[in-house]
Amino acid sequence: MPAFDYKQAQEVRDAFAREGARYLFLGKSGAILLGFPDTTQDADLLCDRSPDNTERLVRAIASLGFDLTPEQQAEIRRGKDFIQLKNGPFDLDLIFAPDGIEGFDDAWKRRADVDGFPVCHIDDIIASKRAANRVKDRESLPRLLAFREYLREHGRL
Amino acid sequence: MLNEHSPRSTPQESGGTIPQEWRDEFDAAARRPLPTRMRYAFIKTYRPVLDDVKYRSFESMAEYRRWCERELPEWLGYARV
Repeated sequence: MPAFDYKQAQEVRDAFAREGARYLFLGKSGAILLGFPDTTQDADLLCDRSPDNTERLVRAIASLGFDLTPEQQAEIRRGKDFIQLKNGPFDLDLIFAPDGIEGFDDAWKRRADVDGFPVCHIDDIIASKRAANRVKDRESLPRLLAFREYLREHGRL
Repeated sequence: MLNEHSPRSTPQESGGTIPQEWRDEFDAAARRPLPTRMRYAFIKTYRPVLDDVKYRSFESMAEYRRWCERELPEWLGYARV
């Protein structure tokens, strides 16, 4: 499977917008959208787990070509905390309860818009990395902190 | 796991200043359009175990973290510090 690319990100954006599903790019994929120069394999989406939204998510994800079983659709509908999808045209991680972020609504209020892509605030991306506290997060944090400082310097925060 | 972006000093170590090599990279990224940034940023390499199934889900992030520590090779970097 090829790497996630801009065209696929547009497809996600457009499919989720058509269904009115609320989500935010999170993790390093979110930071990359904000301008952070680094590499990642995953597109991580923080999703609103309200029942109405999870129904919209199922429709949007299915429309992208993901082959979801009824059981998998049910797990998305109930907003299971963490779901990895590798049964579609690209890989997607759905996160309903990320480490370090209190609730979707707060993150939504702080979001950035990058070419129509809703992205978590850099503070939330850093908070989730700090809370996850994995080896790979520890390695990324100093550079993410420097990037936040860079955004501040350039009036982008 | 080695980080390809390891400067001689970090922001904390240098009192909040951004290492020049990182600043240069941030400047370069800021000049690139988003499609180009994404082309450089998203990569795909096989990750054992993690990429071996088409679907996986967890009731909690804590359960996911425990699964990562139990099942994934250490070199992938998913273990908690």
